[in-house]
Amino acid sequence: MMPKEFGYDRPFTLYTPDGRLIQVEYAAEAVRHGSPVVGIRGKDFSLMVARMKDTDPLIDPVEKIHIVDENIGIAGAGYTGDIDLLIDEARLEAQRHRVIFEDPIDVRSIVNHITQFMYQFTRYSGVRPLGAALIVVGSDRTGSHLYQVDPMGLMISGKAMAIGMNCENATGILREEYRDDLNMEEAIKLAVKALSKADESGAPVEVGIATESRFMKTNLENALKRAKEIQDKIKKDKKENS
Amino acid sequence: MPLLRTSNLTMCDKSWSIIDLQDIRYTVQQMTTVVGLKCVDGVVLASDRRASKGGMIGSKSVRKIYALDENKAVAIAGQLSDANYLINLVKAEAKLIELKRGFQLTVKEAAKLLSNIMYSGMRSYAPYVTEILVAGIDETGPRLFEADVSGAITDEDFTATGSGSPMAFGLLEGSYRQGIKVSDGASVAARAVKAAMERDPGSGNGIQVLKITKEGMEWVDIGGNGQ
Repeated sequence: MMPKEFGYDRPFTLYTPDGRLIQVEYAAEAVRHGSPVVGIRGKDFSLMVARMKDTDPLIDPVEKIHIVDENIGIAGAGYTGDIDLLIDEARLEAQRHRVIFEDPIDVRSIVNHITQFMYQFTRYSGVRPLGAALIVVGSDRTGSHLYQVDPMGLMISGKAMAIGMNCENATGILREEYRDDLNMEEAIKLAVKALSKADESGAPVEVGIATESRFMKTNLENALKRAKEIQDKIKKDKKENS
Repeated sequence: MPLLRTSNLTMCDKSWSIIDLQDIRYTVQQMTTVVGLKCVDGVVLASDRRASKGGMIGSKSVRKIYALDENKAVAIAGQLSDANYLINLVKAEAKLIELKRGFQLTVKEAAKLLSNIMYSGMRSYAPYVTEILVAGIDETGPRLFEADVSGAITDEDFTATGSGSPMAFGLLEGSYRQGIKVSDGASVAARAVKAAMERDPGSGNGIQVLKITKEGMEWVDIGGNGQ
């Protein structure tokens, strides 16, 4: 028997009698204190929006969306150190793939690697589950993808999702207003609307867009401007190929 | 004809580093001509297209010039597999550094990254049997470096390596001048490779030229595929 004061939320990841892993649940709770990220997948693109961390006029705003490779971007919610560790790992995996195959990695493989990496932190004593969730946006030869990764090492693929503080507010808007035929401009506007329900800070918005095996990161104004361009290009390519 | 004599390295006496590195340097230089030229507005790399397998022509359309990113490239001589592996490694490392710190490597940093790997190869008795020209343009202007099996790098105005380099040098020594423009430099480099192809049995099958300027990269193919 364990001593009385030795609860199920000690530094070990230990099952409670009803089968829960409290430490992992605490990690998920840490994510819910992080600034939110919203992701949307359209027909031939996927994108994410987040507000830069802009807490003090004396401190430079910190970027939230990270480029992993030419076709993949990641934004996280939770502890910055933990997010950075995951970004580093994702970048490393992307380059490992390139060294072996001389081609960029596909989105599913990199997400799978990240989830495996995170999952290990739920299995061993002496480590703590990472307090970070990620939105992964990418495009490869199988299409455009939107994934979410959470602290228990769960990989979720979907059309629209949000992580971080008040994400249920954002998800509510997404559930109401998401349509399969959203074009890129509409998707950006919807994502920002959903984000604003969760994050009312008014800090500058970053947008990450993945389409045609490329990922680009930009500010909101430029994204809306470029959205038309990119959308027109996709339409034109489709006409020429059909 | 021995292409690779690296196995000697593990069996030799104390003086291996001098004797066998020279040995390897000699084998590295077999079967290729690559030329690099620093110009006033950019850099030029040129190569032939022949890969040799012993005394036979292994390929007539091999690439010896590779872009590392938008403004840096390398030209290779020696063991193709070693060179390709090194290039992939350097590209990956460079990309990781670039993503982390937010700006690209300088040409010198890229050359040093490459030569450090080659140096550790030499020090661990398993050298990368290749000689690589690193060329590019950065804030400090056009740069050209040469990295060899031992991990030494030298900063050059113009250089050549491979079995055809003696012929190429002959032309370069006469035709290269300070302040040359990329447009003229490209033709000098192509002529140097052509001269080597005329007299060196290890070089041939067409010429590839890469011009790197502030505007970006321009690839030019001259002849090739069986000529």
